[in-house]
Amino acid sequence: MTHFSWALDGSIVGLYLVATMAAGIMVRKYVRRVDHFLIAGREMNVYLGIASLAATEFGVVTCMYTAQNGYDKGFAGATPGILMAVAMLVVGVTGFCVKPLRDAGVMTIPELFENRYGPRIRWLAGVVIVLGGLLNMGVFLRTGGEFLLLVCGLSPAGDASAGFFAAHTLEITMTVLLLAVAAYTILGGMLSVLVTDFLQFIVMSAGLIVVTVLILASSDIGWGKLVATVEARYGEGGFNPFVHPGMGWSYVLFNALLNFAVVLTWQTTIQRLLAAKDTRTGRKIYTGTSFFFVCRFLLPGLWGMAALAVLTPAMVGDNTLYAMPKFLALFVPPGIMGLLLAAMLAADMSTDSSYMLTWGSVIYNDILAPFRKGPWSDKKGLFWNRTIIALIGIFLLVYGLWYPLKGDLWTYLGVTGTIYLSSMSVLLVGCCYWKRANNWGAAAAILFGAIIPVAYLVLEQVWTVQVTDAAGQLVARSVVKDTIGPYYSGIATYVLAAAAMVVGSVLKPKTGPADAKGKA
Amino acid sequence: MSFWDIQAFTGHWVWWTLTVACVVWYSTITVYVAIRGVFDIRGMLRRLAGNSDAPHDPAAPSAE
Repeated sequence: MTHFSWALDGSIVGLYLVATMAAGIMVRKYVRRVDHFLIAGREMNVYLGIASLAATEFGVVTCMYTAQNGYDKGFAGATPGILMAVAMLVVGVTGFCVKPLRDAGVMTIPELFENRYGPRIRWLAGVVIVLGGLLNMGVFLRTGGEFLLLVCGLSPAGDASAGFFAAHTLEITMTVLLLAVAAYTILGGMLSVLVTDFLQFIVMSAGLIVVTVLILASSDIGWGKLVATVEARYGEGGFNPFVHPGMGWSYVLFNALLNFAVVLTWQTTIQRLLAAKDTRTGRKIYTGTSFFFVCRFLLPGLWGMAALAVLTPAMVGDNTLYAMPKFLALFVPPGIMGLLLAAMLAADMSTDSSYMLTWGSVIYNDILAPFRKGPWSDKKGLFWNRTIIALIGIFLLVYGLWYPLKGDLWTYLGVTGTIYLSSMSVLLVGCCYWKRANNWGAAAAILFGAIIPVAYLVLEQVWTVQVTDAAGQLVARSVVKDTIGPYYSGIATYVLAAAAMVVGSVLKPKTGPADAKGKA
Repeated sequence: MSFWDIQAFTGHWVWWTLTVACVVWYSTITVYVAIRGVFDIRGMLRRLAGNSDAPHDPAAPSAE
């Protein structure tokens, strides 16, 4: 059952889609050069930067995992958002790493690394960034599609007895959405991304605020029932992450490290810094957007807590990821439902377009760098950038359809992101502030930063044992998840990457003047 | 129990304050950014249109 009205809400969604596509395609005429395409010619100012950063870092997938955190952990589930806001504010105010990064005038982080660590490390860093980023982004489409279908009252599993379209509604929805996003991203690059991000920020924010106010003002739910439900279900742990049985200090420390690394090196975030018209503007974008990251976790978290208060466990089913959209389908009235769907489409499209452009820019700028013999014309550069984005879109469709997600979504994103966040943050800090950092240390940090999370992801899928659950049923349990868990594994990754950088850099013998810059 | 009921938030005033701050700040910043962002877009497109005939910067990425 849903309150979605195809006539009223469908019209609102259709209007939004037409406006976004038109705006995204109209600005393509301003793209004449590769730097226009990838970093908007470094002409972005503060408020457009804030809108773009906020829209990029809030997708449907964000809404899903933050709401899942609210459902599973109560108010304490907003802890990662608070940690990220603090990290963003500190980095924006102090300019830690981001000032030398923007001052260098580079287009990607690996490009900066070449000055200190040499071209091989630049290439390797590009590979690791793209690997971690694409694995991370791989779950966006399916999760977004599941949200949209559940809110519309449709089953993500489809109805195999009702024909091809009914059986594959999710896949068809995902494909159409991705084609639309790819169209304006391929044509207009960063310029289209920024303009559509701006529109999407407004629509997305309106939807987030209106639905949150509806929940808080509701006589059936309201603040009091949310607090009482969290208290009844999780006790003090629902308000304090250190005493929550599923969180504790390891969760807080892992998320502190993760979010600090995200602020410093997550390429979609950094691309806003690099597209800013100067370093001061880039830092203002960071400080101005910092509190948004609390809203990003807390507001959808409230939606998840409302689902906990209203829905029975039988209505939610096994996967708590679906609790929030199932709740919204019942709670949000017609008219507002259209705004909500437009908001979530906006969130999804802005994230997809930015992510495709970002990983494409690293592939073009850093991974293909050794294959570019001599300067390329802008025409050739634009052609390859557009081709790479199209190929990323195809990869997302394929990977997004078959990867079976296990465990909670935020943890999956954290683990896949750690593949590059751990080593890249260590490389960046070393590059900016440690004169002895060199290519030996950088290679060791990349190796250790990638091995642990990749091994964790693989073992989580393949190393399982059969155990009997409380109902007497045989179920498969992941051994690494139960014994080590993602948080200790994540903390170990950051610590070992830093240690590898120090040990590797110190071990490299000083043999000549070239080593003063740490190059191979 | 309403959102403004003093009994409802005295035990968890940190989360109540944070929730109110989020709703108020986010509403304000959305309106403010929506207005100022239009000027940013116009300025950006005007500068790009003006620079479109300028000589290519040799430090630009395609000139590697």
